[in-house]
Amino acid sequence: MRHRSPDFWSGLALAALGAYIVAQARGWDYLTDDGPGPGFFPLWYGIAILACSAWLVVFGKSPGANWQGAGRALATWGAVALAVTLVKFIGFALAFGAVAFFIVAVMYRRSPAVAALVALCTVAGFYLVFPLALGVALP
Amino acid sequence: MDIAAGLLHGFALALQPLNLLWCFVGVLLGTIVGIMPGLGPPATIAMLLPLTALMNPAGAIIMLAGIYYGAKYGGSTTSILLNVPGESASVVTCLDGYAMARKGRAGPALGIAAIASFIAGTVGVLGLMLVAPPLAKLALAFSSPEYFALMSLGLAMVVLLAGKSMVKALLAMLVGLWIAGIGTDVFTSQSRFTFGHMELLSGIDFVVVAIGIFALGEVLANMEAREEPQVLPVPKGLRNLLPTMQDLRDCRFAFAQGSVLGFLVGVLPGAGSTIASFISYGVEKAFSKRRDQFGTGVIEGVAAPEGANNSETGGALVPLLTLGIPGSGTTAILLAALVLWGFKPGPLFIAENPGMFWGLVASMYIGNVMLLVLNLPLVPLFAQVLRTPVYVLYPLIVGISIVGVYAGSGSLFDLYLLAGFGLLGYLMRKLDYPSAPLILGLVLGGAMERALRQSLMMSEGHLSILVSRPISAVMLALALVVLCIPLFSRFNTWRLRAMEQEES
Amino acid sequence: MKLALAFLAVLVSSSALAFKPTRTIEVVVHTGPGGGSDILARAVAGMIEKEKLLPVRMQVVNKTGGGGAVAAAYLAEKAGDENTIGFFTGVWLTGPLTSPEYKVTLRDLTPVARLVLEPALIAVKADAPFKTMADFINAAKQNPGQLKQSGGSPTSRDNVVRQLLQKHTGARWAYISFPGGGERIAALLGGHVNMMVIEPAEAGEHIRAGNMRVLAQVSDSRLPGFPGVPTLKEAGFDIPAVPQVRGVVAPPKIPAENVAYWEDVLLKLTKTASWKKFLADNQFEDGYQNAQDLTKFYDEFTARMREILKEAGLKLVR
Repeated sequence: MRHRSPDFWSGLALAALGAYIVAQARGWDYLTDDGPGPGFFPLWYGIAILACSAWLVVFGKSPGANWQGAGRALATWGAVALAVTLVKFIGFALAFGAVAFFIVAVMYRRSPAVAALVALCTVAGFYLVFPLALGVALP
Repeated sequence: MDIAAGLLHGFALALQPLNLLWCFVGVLLGTIVGIMPGLGPPATIAMLLPLTALMNPAGAIIMLAGIYYGAKYGGSTTSILLNVPGESASVVTCLDGYAMARKGRAGPALGIAAIASFIAGTVGVLGLMLVAPPLAKLALAFSSPEYFALMSLGLAMVVLLAGKSMVKALLAMLVGLWIAGIGTDVFTSQSRFTFGHMELLSGIDFVVVAIGIFALGEVLANMEAREEPQVLPVPKGLRNLLPTMQDLRDCRFAFAQGSVLGFLVGVLPGAGSTIASFISYGVEKAFSKRRDQFGTGVIEGVAAPEGANNSETGGALVPLLTLGIPGSGTTAILLAALVLWGFKPGPLFIAENPGMFWGLVASMYIGNVMLLVLNLPLVPLFAQVLRTPVYVLYPLIVGISIVGVYAGSGSLFDLYLLAGFGLLGYLMRKLDYPSAPLILGLVLGGAMERALRQSLMMSEGHLSILVSRPISAVMLALALVVLCIPLFSRFNTWRLRAMEQEES
Repeated sequence: MKLALAFLAVLVSSSALAFKPTRTIEVVVHTGPGGGSDILARAVAGMIEKEKLLPVRMQVVNKTGGGGAVAAAYLAEKAGDENTIGFFTGVWLTGPLTSPEYKVTLRDLTPVARLVLEPALIAVKADAPFKTMADFINAAKQNPGQLKQSGGSPTSRDNVVRQLLQKHTGARWAYISFPGGGERIAALLGGHVNMMVIEPAEAGEHIRAGNMRVLAQVSDSRLPGFPGVPTLKEAGFDIPAVPQVRGVVAPPKIPAENVAYWEDVLLKLTKTASWKKFLADNQFEDGYQNAQDLTKFYDEFTARMREILKEAGLKLVR
């Protein structure tokens, strides 16, 4: 199978978005008595997205991206995303502390002690600066 | 009262020890607020309003104004050092500012930001002082068709931000337009692309997108490497920590056009400092000899937008003080403050309260000087931030992003969006999609759609309104010219290459 | 005997006011810092503190988004919480009618009191050919759809007034939405639109400077600041003077005695001098209504809104 360039996939994804936008836009008024309706703009840029992404799918030929480290990056993202969803239940301090710990310990392979220290200090720092000094609420 | 007399009167007022103190407090607070992402002048000023009731009004407005333009100085700090925009107007500074920091030139970047801000801030005050009333009348001639033309000009700048692939830049911009459209259509109350979530009814906050794509995206991209000895080289020696004479020379044009453009854009009600900084950046890039290097750490790419977002504050005060029309969120609160203290901002404000007006103008000169003196020596200090080991710095950036976003809206939903945009930023980096066009589309998309529909409502459906009015026709023509620039330069290179081949 | 009666009286009165807040009150507003509701809430909190009407502090909390939807939903989540109240405005009443995402209406919450009514003025540029409201309406009749009005969203009071006038007179003119107040005024002063509905506080200075002229007042009785301007009814247009309302609301499942307590505090507030000054400075009308009247008002208001918005061509979802 010929190795497809990443442009092919991103182009496809964007084409899907474009198609979705056009479909939604058709459900709204294109033109009303008072002028263009809510469907006007989305229809046009939806079509533009479809056109451009089609071009990409056919002609795109950027070299494959280096996906070597992607696992690590995505794992970090996963940690952040998880933490953010958990903030509602366990609060900022624990959630963020966990992320900080994760980044230091897992990503950078420092000892758990260092990781814990960093996590503690940063969380303390945030609490000092934001709610105490500036009166800004933390999640 | 004529200008000289007014200015003397103003300085007499502004130089009173108490007012000087308020000025200092204001600019200091403003700088701090600007550095913190998510915390902006509107929130700070609103929180301080009750306190100001206890102060004398002159001192109060001096302080609040200080917060307003001081924040523009501070906003560049995190943009340059951490790729986290401190405030929406500082997004453009991230482009070249952070690139400069990566090359070890964080100091000069921070320094030039302060210097450009000072020059532009002063120009802004000069403008306010000299041309405010006639300019305000001119600004009234600006309405929806002209705004549409202005936004089109702004969007046309995308061709200058394109980089290697024009198609990808276009796609990024279109996605930005789409994100801008999420929310409630203001003309028909029709909700668009909200997926049933009420939090999306008022659209997605720009700050969430910018911090997600820039800051989080950057952190995620950096996570790929196993180990990095030091993120950013820290320059040694004082000389490397400040801009050189060559740097200052390079930025001559940026200083000039950033100041003037920012001021003019600020005068228009509704056009904000983000637009001003984008346009200034675009103009700088268009006229620069090394335009291909923009985005890799060109110093004028920092000077132009930073200057523009500072002089914009001077401009935004023009409609407020001469007509009583607030042009942006912050000026709206300033208006409320003036009303709270018993003033009536409107066309007669300056004539009836010359003390307040000239006192304010004089204090702005003083404030800008204070800010320069405050910020420049802090540059080496800030640059040391880069010495932090990577494994502390990145969690810190993640934390600042989360807190910054939450501070702006108090919404957990925005945090989910932040995470989502962080992923998007990372993917865009991997797949070579430029992020600046997306931000451009996001910032201008909403305003442009509104302006177009308003224009067509005004003209009852005739598109001709866009070209029959002189100002909008001129700007649309300019937009077309901008769109043709890449063709022109490609044609030029082809021509040069053809000539070379002939000679050999 | 007298002592016993007095003792009984104290006992009875203190049990009637059995509710007293003991913790800082959270005041929810739907605008960001500096927005209309935010400023009102802060002003009210300040006045209550000054007049010592509450034993505890009030803390304003901003829950922006969705034109009030997020704030309303937040209040709904806090059912039974005695230390939270919210400030509502007209959008809380009209929003649920047009947006399916707007899930919580005022009826789902506990209405407490209505506080202010904001009247409005109908203004044109000073050099416009219209000297009275009738001039404008006649011009509109002769050139249907060509005159233009600037205003906020189509569910805002500006458009409601327009819809009512159009229906009443048979004239038609265009409506152009501008999200920001400043832009609307700039559009009028720049001559890009012909007329707008504007709040007295905003218009005051422009009128004084001679840039704007007021044709009529959208109010039941003449405002003290504009004694020479006829109300719409006086000018011959018998349409209800649609107010912009602001008031206080509480989370669901709050006991009636709490509501009575809040009503009492707010009633006391409206009698103070600082409140009267506040109203005069902002040119608001005192529109105090207790919870029961507010509920009635809400039902009437939404029923009328439904009709008006349907005629305006908006899609209704409730």
